Order: sequence, then C-alpha cells, then structure tokens
Amino acid sequence: MSGLILAGVEKAFGAVQVIKGIDLTVNPGEFCVFVGPSGCGKSTLLRMIAGLEGVSAGAISIGGTDVTWAEPSERGIAMVFQSYALYPHMSVRDNIGFGLSLARVPKDQIAEKVNQAAELLQLTALLDRKPKALSGGQRQRVAIGRAIVRDPAVFLFDEPLSNLDASLRAQMRLELTDLHARLGATMIYVTHDQVEAMTMADKIVVLNAGRIEQVGRPMDLYRAPATPFVAGFIGSPRMNLYTGELARAEGCVTYGIRPEHLTLVAQGGKWQGTVRFVERLGPDAMVHLHVAGLGDMTVRTSGEIALSTGDETGIMPQEGREHRFAD
Amino acid sequence: MSRAQPPKRWRPIVVGLLTMAGFLLTFVVPFLFIFLQAVKDRRAANKLDFTWPDSWHLWENIVAVVQTRDYILLLAYFNSIVITVGAVTLLVIFASMVGYVLSRRRSRLNGFVMALVLAGLMIPPAVVPTIWVLQGLTLFKTIHGMILIQVAYGLSFSILLYRAFIAGIPRELDEAALIDGAKPWQIFFRVVLPLLRPVTVTNIVVQSIGIFNDFTNPLYYLPGRENVTVQLTLFNFQSQFSTQYNLLFTNILLITIPPLIVFIFFNRQIVAGMTAGAVKG
Amino acid sequence: MTAPRRKSPYPSWFFVPAAVVYGTLFLLPTVASLWFSLTRWDLFTATYIGLDNFRQFFSEPFLVSSIGKTLIYAGLTSGLKTILGLLLAVLLVSPIIWRGMLRTIVFFPVLVSTVGVGITFTTMMHPTKGIINVLLESLGIDGPGWLTDPSLALFSVVLVDVWKGVGLATVIYMAGLVSISQDYYEASRIDGATRFQQFWRITLPLVWPATVTVVTLSLISGLRFFELIWAMTRGGPGFSSDVVASVIYKQYQAGFYGLATAGNVVLFSLIALLILPLTWWFNTREVEA
Repeated sequence: MSGLILAGVEKAFGAVQVIKGIDLTVNPGEFCVFVGPSGCGKSTLLRMIAGLEGVSAGAISIGGTDVTWAEPSERGIAMVFQSYALYPHMSVRDNIGFGLSLARVPKDQIAEKVNQAAELLQLTALLDRKPKALSGGQRQRVAIGRAIVRDPAVFLFDEPLSNLDASLRAQMRLELTDLHARLGATMIYVTHDQVEAMTMADKIVVLNAGRIEQVGRPMDLYRAPATPFVAGFIGSPRMNLYTGELARAEGCVTYGIRPEHLTLVAQGGKWQGTVRFVERLGPDAMVHLHVAGLGDMTVRTSGEIALSTGDETGIMPQEGREHRFAD
Repeated sequence: MSRAQPPKRWRPIVVGLLTMAGFLLTFVVPFLFIFLQAVKDRRAANKLDFTWPDSWHLWENIVAVVQTRDYILLLAYFNSIVITVGAVTLLVIFASMVGYVLSRRRSRLNGFVMALVLAGLMIPPAVVPTIWVLQGLTLFKTIHGMILIQVAYGLSFSILLYRAFIAGIPRELDEAALIDGAKPWQIFFRVVLPLLRPVTVTNIVVQSIGIFNDFTNPLYYLPGRENVTVQLTLFNFQSQFSTQYNLLFTNILLITIPPLIVFIFFNRQIVAGMTAGAVKG
Repeated sequence: MTAPRRKSPYPSWFFVPAAVVYGTLFLLPTVASLWFSLTRWDLFTATYIGLDNFRQFFSEPFLVSSIGKTLIYAGLTSGLKTILGLLLAVLLVSPIIWRGMLRTIVFFPVLVSTVGVGITFTTMMHPTKGIINVLLESLGIDGPGWLTDPSLALFSVVLVDVWKGVGLATVIYMAGLVSISQDYYEASRIDGATRFQQFWRITLPLVWPATVTVVTLSLISGLRFFELIWAMTRGGPGFSSDVVASVIYKQYQAGFYGLATAGNVVLFSLIALLILPLTWWFNTREVEA
C-alpha cells in the first residue's frame, strides 16, 4: 500500500495559472475525493498525478518514489475515465487484459488475473462481449476491472459516475465504497457532486480556483467548514450565509447557519420571517422564508409542518451550530 | 383568395419518369453502345451504329483481345493490380500516421504540414524533373517507382480524410492506452488504427479506382512494353484496332468491369469519401 | 530544476515515411522545375539559358493560345459542372420515384476509365457514322464535325468532360443539401416564401460550402486536365484543342525538356494565380455568411 504526496504542485497553460501551488498528503489506503465546482482545476490535478499533463512546478511522489517526470505507465497508477475509454474493438476480456499483454505477461497469468477481476466485479458472463453490447453500469465495471488488474498503488477516478442515471449512480456509489473496503487500495476520486464526496470519502479535498480550500474528513468539513466557500459547497440544502449588518453584529465577516440547524418557533425567535413557499419532500420539508432586512433563508423542518405561503413565523438557531467566518 | 391545394400525387412519378428518360439517353446510351459494339463481329461493329447485333460474338472478341500481342492485356492487368495494391497499402499506412499526429498534437509544425498537404492537392506535378529524380534513384520505368509516385500523389487526399475522421475518436482512448503502458506506436497500431476501419475502406476504394484508372502517370513514368498498364493497352489498341471496333470496345468493356464491381459493393463509401469536406461545419 | 523533456505520445517520426516519399517524388521535382525551366536540358546536362524557354513559350502562337484554351476549358467545365450539379442534386434529393437508381446512374461515369470514355465518345462523335450525328440527321439536322471542326473540337471535349464529371458535383451538392435543416424551409413557408424564393434565399446561401468545394475541385482538375484531350483529339485538329498540359507532353516527347518544364512552371503559376485569390475570396464570403 502506498500513499501520495503533492509538494508545491503548479500548472500553467501559457499565461493562465490553473493550479496554484498544491500541498497534499494522501495516506495509504485512503479514499480521497477532490471536489469543487467545474473549472476549479480538480480534473487537471488528477491528470497531473496520472502523468497525462506535465507539471509546471513542484513534485509528485507515489509510494515514496518521485514520479514527477515519470511516464504515466511507470507511476503505479490506474485511471477510470469519465467516458470509461473502453477500446471499442476489443472484447471485455481483451480490454481488461490489454495492459498486461503490452507488458508481455504470459497468457495464462493474464487469463487468471482477468478472471479474478471479472469475478470480483461480476463480469464473468460478459467477458466475450464488446463494449457496445454493455449497459452503462457494466461499462463502468469493465473500466474498473481494467484498473484493478494493473495492481496499482493508486487508483484515479475522473468523475466516473457522471454518465449514469440517478438510481444507478446511487448503486455504484455503494459498490465503489465496497470495492475500496475489499481492496484496501489508495483511491483518488474527482467529482463535482458533494453527495458523492460526503458518502464515499475518507478525506475530502475542496478545491476552488486552483487552490485547496480545506482538507478533512467529511463530517469535519460539515461541522467546521474553514471558509464560506466550503460551508456553501458541503451540505445539502446549502448553508444560509450572510454578510453585512448581521455578520457585523455577530463579530465576523460572514455569518452562516445550516437549514437543519434552524427551528421554527411560534413566538420569539431570533428572526421573524414570511413564508415564500414550502417544498415538501415527504419525510421533511424545506421552508423558504423572507426575513426583513436580511434576505432569503431556508429552514429544514418535519414534513408534516402546517405552514403555507404568506404565514409569519419566528426562527431560532440551535445552540452551538452557528458559524462565524473571518472572511 | 387562394385555396389550399391537395398534394399532387402524380408529381413524383412524372418527374421521376422524365429524369429517367433524360438519364437513359445521356448516361446509359454510351454504356449500352460500348456493350453493343463489344458483342458484334468486325463488319457490324465498324458501322458504328446503335443497333441490336445480328449475331453474338462477345466470347470470341474477349479471346481475341486477350490474345492480342502475346497476351499483353493479362500482363497489363497484373501490372495494374500490383501497382494499385502496393500503392494503396502504403497510402493507408503513411496517410493514417500523418493524419493521426496532425489531428492529435497541437504544434507549430502542423501549420507547415497542412500547407504542404494542400499544395499537393493543387500543384500539378513537374513531369520531367520527376523523371530526372526517378532516374537518379534508378526507379524510372520500374513498377515500384510507379507505386511510390502514386503514393506521393495520393497522400494529400488520404491525409485529409484520415485527419477529419480521427478528430472524432475520443482522446481518452489514447490516454487509457498510455496508462496501460502502450508505446506511441502501440497506441496507434493497436488502439487507433483498428478504429479507422470505415475511413480506411473509403480510402482503399477511392484510391484504388483512381490509381487503376490512371493514364497520365504511367504514360510518363512507366514506358516500355513489359510495364504496360490497363489504361495504356486501351491507348495502344486505339491505333492497332482502328478498323476492329469490336475488339476496341471489348477492351473498354473489360477495363470498365473492375470499377463497376467495386462500385456495386462500396457505393456508400465511395460517395462518402468523395464528398468529405464538402459539408464541414 | 529544469523540466526534462517529456516524450509526446504523438511522435514526429510518424510524419517520416510520408515525408520521404512526398519530399523526394513531389516536392523535390517541383522545386527543381524552377531551375530546369531556366535551362536547355537533355536530362544529363543542363545549360543555363535564362528566361529563353519562357520567351519561346510566349512567342510561339500555338503555345500562347494553349493558355487561353486552358482557361476556357477550365472555366467552362467548372461552370457547367457547378450549375448542372446543383440542379441535378436538387432534383435527386426531391421526392421522386427511382431516386436511388438515378443517383447511381449519374455517379457511375465518375468511376469509369477516362480513356475509355474518350474513345467511346470519339466514336459516337464520328462526323458521318457516329450515332450522335445519325440521330441528328434523322431529326433533319445536319450534325457538325464535333471533333474534326477546329472551332468546335475543344468544346466537344468540354461536353464529354462535363458528362463524366457532373456526377461528382452532384453528390457533393446532395451532401450539402441534405445537411440543410428542414426547419428553415418550414419557417420560411410560414413566412410565406415561394419555392423559387426558398431556392434563392435559403438553399443557395446555405449550400455555399458545397459550391466552394465543387468550383475549386473542378477548376483545379480542369486546369490540369490532359487525359480526355489526349484520348479524343491529341490537341488537334492542328493545335486547335491543345491545352497547356498537352503541350507539355508534346514538348517532352520531342525532347525539349527545358521547354516542357517551363510549361509546367507556367501551368503551376496559372493555377496559383487563379486558385489562391479565389480561395481567399471564398473564405471572406464564408465569414460573412
């Protein structure tokens, strides 16, 4: 098992600085998720780790070896692409075994490894099919199989679930988590979906505009976001964030409170709001309010709440759940 | 006030019939004429008229044409096929390699290479200096020299076809192969080239027909009786058969057959290849 | 630390095999032609004679007139192929019966041996026995000597060239026409456009890329054309249908290698002078569109 260390890694395309100095350690066996909005540089960073993009400054080491200038195939990594990049003219068996056959591994060993991987991923019945004849989820598993047989020190995933429909995506999240538990390998996973980050990661790296905003375990990021950006990105529905007078009164630059940490009260309360509309999700409901002098606010309550548009209500934050940011 | 008119059902039929009549007269009659001449005997053919033959002599004529000048037509067929197969094989390999790098790599060299490719489509070959170069390389009057000439003249068209097609193959496939440990030539020959089959078929078909039908280049670069190609037999027979139109047209018939067969099987690919680039977005 | 050079997965040596063949057999002769056109040359020794070859080329009337005939030939074939190609394409994408078969028929001559076509039409254009004049006679028309009348020979070859090449223009136009979205026609019908207006205001502008291709391709091939003229008239009667390409071959046969090469340079310049400005003009038009 091996970890990954990035030291002062930068990337510039011409005059445009895309990655602005990243220092990061991923421990052996960790499931690390890079998350951020599109254009934050997360995919570029992953491609730099893979060796598909060069590095403008800094160093990358995998398993204690400096691989900054190594060829992609010599880094001990395997990558699962967004589009899966299965070779269309090869069967599932040949797709999974392609890398081994290039490395001139004997045929019986290739067959053994391919069969093992196929069994692990429930692909045994599909080994002789071409990628065209597979469903999205099956293609996904073949791409993972191709990564597994390489026995990589680090698995790299580039938004692997974004081409799947919602229900399949939920199922694949569980399968990937399960796979990580069984293989115990180091995995780096890029996504723009904070749900994937929260549910799968041991460690989340939040990226914004080519910089790391915060690194930590999912619940740490949820409980103690370091910046308003992280606060707004992690957690759904989004945290209510306010600057201006309220923040100044609280002694900070940005004040934040999550919808699930607000309580609606008949009397008193810190604020008084007017209900704009109620989104009923079944088990719970999102109440969207307007608070005079403050703006919009979302509160998560029980699904059975008896409120409707135009009602007035008091709002109370829970003790110790308020966030005060210095920027 | 104008009233909506019901659709005219007779229109497609009438227009189709009229077009067919026009096409039969202009495009089909010449081919029919070739065929009629080829089945007549010498006396009937020399009248050059468009009449049904009194008696059929197709097989006789074919035998006579094939036997002419010591079976020269068979030699010509052999030479033409060797040249076509050899040149098209090299064209497919060379042009796909250039098209691949041209389409994949962002580099200043590309602009220069593209200018050369377009020059190849436009500039007429300088004939006598080419003969001079071929003589210097002892390739003049040789079949392999002819093959290389056809490659040089055909590259531009093939490169453009490949470049356009490769742009549609996802780059992630190359990257996956790179991570799998493939060397550049393995990425190309084991991953990309197999995916180029449709455009390769188009290339093979279009270039084969062009090279098989080529008259000018063998005329210049491949003189000599033992080097004769099918188009040149036609040219040579034209004077020899000036009073034997039945044999002259039997020869034309025999030479028109290979493209006809190719056309029947690859109609779609030929049209695709020849119209490529006409509707670029 | 300086970054070591990373090997590109798309190596430059992929250019090499093509470049060697293309460089030696196409580029080298093309560049060498510029020198040899300035010499008296027998393939072994070349004596520098300055611009004498060009002076001779432009002083012999039959050589000079070949330039004009080349332009007429290229202009006529290109124009006729473009107009007929567009009309045939419009006809063959409209809903008529036997469409597939008609498309096949019009395209087939493109694939047939040019020399074979030349000989066939030479025979059909025979002044007294040829089927064309026999047909005209039965209609009471005195058919001309298509290839024997010096004022007509070049135009007869033009007709045969168009006959053989119009199929290519047609399929290029058909590809262009089917790529025009049907929405434009429906929108313009709601706006009240007639069929004629649709053709001028929608079809013609939107099929412009195909027009560029057809005009450029047919002009270049028209300027370089040799096979059909050689198969049908050998430049005759007299020099009446000689174009630059056939003149080059005649000079080569006669052993005037320097003069033949000068002819090549003239042809090359002619093509460059016509095609480059045309391409530039087409491109500016495309930006506006």
